[in-house]
Amino acid sequence: MSNRGASNLTNIVAVARREFMFRARTRTYRYTTVLLMILGVGLALSPVIIRFIDRGGTGDRIEVVVGSSEPGVDVPAALGLLLNASFPGTTPAPDSSPDYRVVATGTTDEARAHVVEGSSVAVLALDRTASGDLSFTLYSKDPIISRTSQLIQQAASSIAIQDRLGRAGLSPPEQASLFTPPAFAYVPADLNSKQSGLDSADAFIGSFAISFVLAIVLFMAIILYGQWVAFSVAEEKNSRVMEIVLAAATPFQLLSGKVVGVGGLALVQYILVLVPAAAAILLQDRIASLVFGEATTVDLPKGLSLGLLGVFGVMFVLGFALYAVLYAGAASLVSRQEDVNQIVAPLTIVSVAGYMVATYAGTGLIPIDSPLVVVMSYIPFFSPYLMLTRLSLNTAGPPEVLLAIGILAASVPLALWVAARLYRSGVLMYGQRPTPRTLWRALRTN
Amino acid sequence: MSLVLDNLSKRFGSVQALDGISFTVERGQVFGFLGANGAGKTTTMRIILDILRPDGGSATWDGVPTTDVPRRTWGYLPEERGLYPRLEVLEQLVFFASLYAIPRREAAARAREWLARFRIPEYEGRRAEELSKGNQQKVQLIAAILHQPDVLIMDEPFAGLDPVNVSLLKEAFETMRRGGTTLIFSTHQMEMVEELCEAVVLIDRGRLVVGGPIRDVKRASGKRVVRLGIEGETEPPAWLTEIPGVSVIRPGQDYLELDVSRDVDAQDILTAALSRGARVTQFQIAEPSIEQIFIERVGRPPSDDHHLATASGTAGVEPASADTHSSGGRS
Repeated sequence: MSNRGASNLTNIVAVARREFMFRARTRTYRYTTVLLMILGVGLALSPVIIRFIDRGGTGDRIEVVVGSSEPGVDVPAALGLLLNASFPGTTPAPDSSPDYRVVATGTTDEARAHVVEGSSVAVLALDRTASGDLSFTLYSKDPIISRTSQLIQQAASSIAIQDRLGRAGLSPPEQASLFTPPAFAYVPADLNSKQSGLDSADAFIGSFAISFVLAIVLFMAIILYGQWVAFSVAEEKNSRVMEIVLAAATPFQLLSGKVVGVGGLALVQYILVLVPAAAAILLQDRIASLVFGEATTVDLPKGLSLGLLGVFGVMFVLGFALYAVLYAGAASLVSRQEDVNQIVAPLTIVSVAGYMVATYAGTGLIPIDSPLVVVMSYIPFFSPYLMLTRLSLNTAGPPEVLLAIGILAASVPLALWVAARLYRSGVLMYGQRPTPRTLWRALRTN
Repeated sequence: MSLVLDNLSKRFGSVQALDGISFTVERGQVFGFLGANGAGKTTTMRIILDILRPDGGSATWDGVPTTDVPRRTWGYLPEERGLYPRLEVLEQLVFFASLYAIPRREAAARAREWLARFRIPEYEGRRAEELSKGNQQKVQLIAAILHQPDVLIMDEPFAGLDPVNVSLLKEAFETMRRGGTTLIFSTHQMEMVEELCEAVVLIDRGRLVVGGPIRDVKRASGKRVVRLGIEGETEPPAWLTEIPGVSVIRPGQDYLELDVSRDVDAQDILTAALSRGARVTQFQIAEPSIEQIFIERVGRPPSDDHHLATASGTAGVEPASADTHSSGGRS
């Protein structure tokens, strides 16, 4: 086989080149790439875009009818402040447009008419009960369980308390100190816990979001580009061109070339989509200040590190190679392109399973340190998803990650060997349904 | 310098596709590979090319097992024609050549030369799917020869070509033969074999029936052909069929063609005719044609595909429980 070895590289390159060039020239590839680029930049800039759309918007109008209740609080001002605060006790950012605009109106009937015609969303009418407490009536088209109704109800409670405190003789500064949130710290029980880096809610949400996005990206790459490899094999078989190719190149060279060619194309598409999107994220501040004419800062997702991105890159390449090689081997067993989806379905299901467990583990539906997640994070078909999730949630360190990468890397040549055997016997097989017996025979014959 | 097949065997499930095939092709020979559909021709070719591996036996080129021979040794035109449908002709040819490590520029130059020789230079920028079947076939043949292989193996190269293209192909064969290329091809057109081949093998149901230089194959036949012309006779006279070992195979316009067993002295037929006062206008003793040998050995004409399904039994019919290669695996 020595003289074969010399031709291996040439032929792998030749096959990869054809695969790459041919697909890169198709309209589908170009259009999809451009579309994905636009989508990527759009997603990256979505905070700016959303703000731009909302710009100048004054929010939903809520009318307050004070009547004869004579509250000890400026009700429209207090209500506006309470409704527009994202968290209790915080004040809304001054540059952001408010969600609600609260105005005072003379009579309830006039205000209700505004709600009916749609210029206002709700009317809050105040009154006093016999005991002297403030009472509220909400007129709205929204149901009582709607977000606006709930917020108004909460705000009303708060206003009623302020009113009672005022009547009890407490000054506004005294009231403010009463409502100051207490100091509250979080410390993991186990001091050696790897989660210790995630001591703030922001960092945790950031890590979760990143593991989620990376899992989606990986999953899509495997499904989408893996199927390209499968379809490419089926197409060659269908057009009967593979017999010429097989006379010139070995199944090993053909499979490797295909995976490298399509993989390269996938990588190019990903880079083309990710680079502008990343640039958009990094330049978001400047874009925002250009659009809004003011200096603003947009927070970068916390928890995204170069190390994590590097591991993602390795997992992306190896995971894709593993699945793509097996996709190709499986596709060589069917005669028609219509049958490709059916034959690769088991592989796709395995991929979906890895993705689902990773997502569940990331959201905490499955504990991240459960034996299922830990074991699966070393199994080649699942490790790209799960080790990434474990890494981004800080429950796995470099030794664990390197072990998973090692196992995954070793599994790729094994998969190539299996796929090449399937390919050698499958690719000349027409009009037969592959059975377990056929597959077994294919693996045994040389 | 020769291709030696020694006792090759290959089984696909319940079908014994090859059953101890042995023969030798000398370097530079034009070699005909004959047999009915399903006889095992394609399987043998695929084993030579290391697309399939045999269950037993060996194939060697100059003493080196064909699994270790560089693939650029071979050029192959498979029975199932196929090109990348949406790739331009020149692009495909350059790609196939690149699998044999031919630089792109060089490959393109050779491809253009061959396209011109096959009178389709204007198709270099067309996609393969836009070409007629015959033109696709020519492109495919070019794909098989661009890397200047030592041995060119072709499965039915003449099938589907019009007479003009057949003669273009024959010219190309002659060019390659003069260049020292060994040509091995299968065909059902026996006149091509007579015209082109120096040696042949005939296989049937995976077994070798007869093989060797054409003249030896013909001499090894148990029969000879006698062409007898008798003035005024178009129907075979009764006395003729009474001679043992003689049968009329084709009553012609001017003469009768007779199958004569080798134990009959052909001169006796002439003597018998003259003794009955017949006026003999033509008398010729000849070796049988390859077509006649095919029929004699295989029991049916080479192109009688329709007949095959019922006649060849297991060899040509896909078994219902087939668990390996379909008919694509045998021929």
